[in-house]
Amino acid sequence: MTETKTSLTRRGALALAGAAVGSGAITGFPTLWAQNIRNITLRQLGTGVSGLNPIAEQVKKDLGFTLQMTVTDTDAVAQRAATQSRSFDIADIEYFSIKKVYPTGVMQPIDTKRIRLADKIVPIFTTGRLTAESVIAQGTSPYSVGFVESKDAKGFASARTELMTLLPTIYNADTLGIRPDLVGRPITQWKDLLDPAFKGKASILNIPGIGIMDAAMVAESAGLVKYADKGNMTRAEIDKTIAFLIEAKKAGQFRAFWKTFDESVNLMASGEVVIQSMWSPAVTAVRSRGIPCVYQPLAEGYRAWGSGLGLMKHLSGLELDAAYEYLNWYLSGWVGAFLNRQGYYSAVLDTAKTFMTENEWGYWMEGKPAVSDIIAPDGKVMEKAGAKRDGGSFLERMGRVVCWNSVMSEDRYMVQKWNEFIAA
Amino acid sequence: MRADVELIGVTKRYGAAVAVDGISLAIPPASYCCLLGPSGCGKTSTLRMIAGHESISDGDILLAGRNVTNLPPAARGTAMMFQSYALFPHLTALENIAFGLRMRGMGKAERLARAAEFLRLVQLEKMADRLPTQLSGGQQQRVALARALITSPKVLLLDEPLSALDPFLRTQMREELKRLQRELGITFIHVTHGQEEAMALSDIAVVMDQGRIAQAAPPREIFEKPASAFVARFIGGHNVLELPQGRFAVRTDRTRLAPAPAGGGPHLSGHVTAVEYQGSAVRVVVQARDGQTAEALLPDSLFHASPVAPGEAATLGWEAQEAHPLPRDAA
Amino acid sequence: MPRLFPWLQAAPLALVLAVFLLVPVAMLVIVSFYDYDSFSLIPAFVLTNYREVFASFVTWQTYLKTLYFAGITWAVTLGLGFWLAYFLAFVVQNQTLRTVLFVLCTVPFWTSNLIRMIAWVPFLGRNGILNGTLLATGVIKEPLEFLLFSDFSVILAFVHLYTLFMVVPIFNTMMRIDRRLLEAARDMGAGFWQTLWCVILPLCKPGIGIGSIFVVVLVMGDFATVRLMSGGQSASVGLMIANQIGLMQYPAAAANAVVLLAMVLLMVGAMLRVIDIRKEL
Repeated sequence: MTETKTSLTRRGALALAGAAVGSGAITGFPTLWAQNIRNITLRQLGTGVSGLNPIAEQVKKDLGFTLQMTVTDTDAVAQRAATQSRSFDIADIEYFSIKKVYPTGVMQPIDTKRIRLADKIVPIFTTGRLTAESVIAQGTSPYSVGFVESKDAKGFASARTELMTLLPTIYNADTLGIRPDLVGRPITQWKDLLDPAFKGKASILNIPGIGIMDAAMVAESAGLVKYADKGNMTRAEIDKTIAFLIEAKKAGQFRAFWKTFDESVNLMASGEVVIQSMWSPAVTAVRSRGIPCVYQPLAEGYRAWGSGLGLMKHLSGLELDAAYEYLNWYLSGWVGAFLNRQGYYSAVLDTAKTFMTENEWGYWMEGKPAVSDIIAPDGKVMEKAGAKRDGGSFLERMGRVVCWNSVMSEDRYMVQKWNEFIAA
Repeated sequence: MRADVELIGVTKRYGAAVAVDGISLAIPPASYCCLLGPSGCGKTSTLRMIAGHESISDGDILLAGRNVTNLPPAARGTAMMFQSYALFPHLTALENIAFGLRMRGMGKAERLARAAEFLRLVQLEKMADRLPTQLSGGQQQRVALARALITSPKVLLLDEPLSALDPFLRTQMREELKRLQRELGITFIHVTHGQEEAMALSDIAVVMDQGRIAQAAPPREIFEKPASAFVARFIGGHNVLELPQGRFAVRTDRTRLAPAPAGGGPHLSGHVTAVEYQGSAVRVVVQARDGQTAEALLPDSLFHASPVAPGEAATLGWEAQEAHPLPRDAA
Repeated sequence: MPRLFPWLQAAPLALVLAVFLLVPVAMLVIVSFYDYDSFSLIPAFVLTNYREVFASFVTWQTYLKTLYFAGITWAVTLGLGFWLAYFLAFVVQNQTLRTVLFVLCTVPFWTSNLIRMIAWVPFLGRNGILNGTLLATGVIKEPLEFLLFSDFSVILAFVHLYTLFMVVPIFNTMMRIDRRLLEAARDMGAGFWQTLWCVILPLCKPGIGIGSIFVVVLVMGDFATVRLMSGGQSASVGLMIANQIGLMQYPAAAANAVVLLAMVLLMVGAMLRVIDIRKEL
């Protein structure tokens, strides 16, 4: 998921009010803090999704040290991590980015022995399966790039070890957003994006790594291409996917391709587009303008993304201790509740639950109808009592993830072909 | 004889201000006419109205008997040579001169050939391909002159054409202008603030003051019979004196130092305030007891025969017929 | 020592230029010959990056598209900019009014690219003001789709943004034209168009040159406007480079940047041959 600075102000406002909602009941903290911990400043680089000021303020309150956040977009986080790793201490970075960044040797693994709630982390990240029965999804699943064998390893471990590359923090399941008032029929499958009825009113996102996945979901749904692994396509699969995209583009199916959060909100809200790739908070943003918008669950399942916190190689001593304290705090509930309340999911659910009301937990996590109004962090009514979350509960949504955002082996070729599609 | 240029009650107003106040003037054919006056007297506005670059608030302008009041410049048969020449900086001397023909749609070869002739007329044939910035002030002026003449105007209008030149070049160009005017046999109207220039060039000089014509006459007549104290002062070489008999203009070169009132003739007594040696003549300034000043321009031999020094008592005298009576106007 | 002095005086600027211009460009050229995989740059001397630039049909298409945007934008901004400058320089006589009008010209720059694009949507969109008005007045039966997310809207946005860059230098040269030259032209029988063509236009050439360089260079290097206003449906070289940087394909991006730089330099060089802008400096 890519997020630009422009949407930060609004998110900041959301989050600020969220901070007031969360109570300050922290237990089990901290351990052996020397007084000089207060002088420590940790610099975190991340996207606007989770690079929110209220989190930094809460860190100051609960842990005493300063967390300095720099916010940029997904690609820039990966670039800076790989090229200017000393300019910050903690990377708030996506799993598919870490696949590229970790092997460059700029990071150190996280010792799970020092993470108190390591075993409480949602099993998607530790075993690759949400439940014992679920299959491991295609693409760069967090599990596949979540562990390393040793401190100096450049490759990823094939199974869980005691060393994590990233501490998972935030993730979600993405699908198509629709304007129920304008589509005029039930939308059930990814291939509905190609319905001639929506000619000139469809859109997909123009971030090649993610756009190609949405395109693959559509192509597969339409029976045009059968992929071995959508997250790691062969050249032939890429060719076929791009060919169908070009065909659709030439036929005038697409109104636009978007790249930023605000663009997607605007396309949908203005009615220029009635069906498109979308991110969950963008759907909420459209709805908050009083315009109907549904984050439509589809038969084929979801495309998911996740990000986590990683430690840069140069961290050591007291700063490293502080960083571990911060990681532990991240799982301890306050942030979890804060993120869950915005429609994302947090890594340890039990602790987050203690910071949420029953109504909130029911609506966001269990797919139950809201018993009273769901209030947005800025105090506006987000959903009226009785509303149900699109797609239902955590298990229904995350349990139907078929593919993760990814980096392919044929990445270079894919981007070339994507550029061809855009230029066509 | 029909006049070449005739102004009838021509007025120019800028809002409430009157720049030219109902002037009437007839300039005989093929004459050199100078519009003369201090800055702000309306001479340039008058010229620009004749040229058609300034609208006329009131009155009419006739060129060769034809009313041109509402015609554009090019339809009037006039051409103007601008102050500081206004040569086109992106065109060569030759192209500048050919510009007027180009505007008339003459073919390139033909107009350049014609322009070359005019370049020869002003003796600049070697400078054909130079840009204006590569020419001296005098050369620029000749190009401007040639450019104005190439369209065969009936009247050439010159706006302070000599003011940008150094004194030596100025005299030289003056002769050349006069020669050209004679040879071409057309009317030149030349705006200047220098009376010497006007004296040297004009067949008819028009002295202007505050938007009106103070006097329009051949230079000799103006010098010998100034129409007003303003003209006498502006033209120079005159003492304007308030005497019991009235107001008079007396030429300074006809004023003499007299030891005593010669037979009760007109005189002015006082003391010498300045003595200036000017080579062939000496200028002696005398302040009278009533505060008036007057001067005498004495041939050097006469002065040296009985010199005076500042502070000494002196009396200025002149022959009675030299005193030219002036009207008692506001000036 | 006195001989050294001029060198010392030039040194600070030379140093700044060296550090902030020459070194980065040199780096760009060097990196363009590197190899890479998805994780890292591999220092080497390979021509693959350039081969990909020149061999790919898409690259040619994208460069052509960028030239097409630059060409049309240049022509439209020149036409508009010239007359706006003419209006400001020769028609408006009041200095205060002139300043106010200039400030108005900068309005497009008061907000960010993204906001500006978003602001076009309610105007040009399918349900936008323009379509609404045209439908209401019966001029059209169906909303005009080409108004937004099309080449038209890209060029419209470019023109909206960059006309000012044309207006300012042309206005500057116009203000320097001695008004007596216009009178002289009129005196010699030039009409309005003749004066414009034979006097004003040649004297504005340096301003037109500078404005053209601004506009062409800005459009050639753009990636945000093309992406936003075409709704991502058109490519530009800048966008292609941005995509490559996004995927950490730095050598490929560098090769593209070098080619783009060379192309822009050639275009600027060609313009400088036609127009001597030193007159303006």
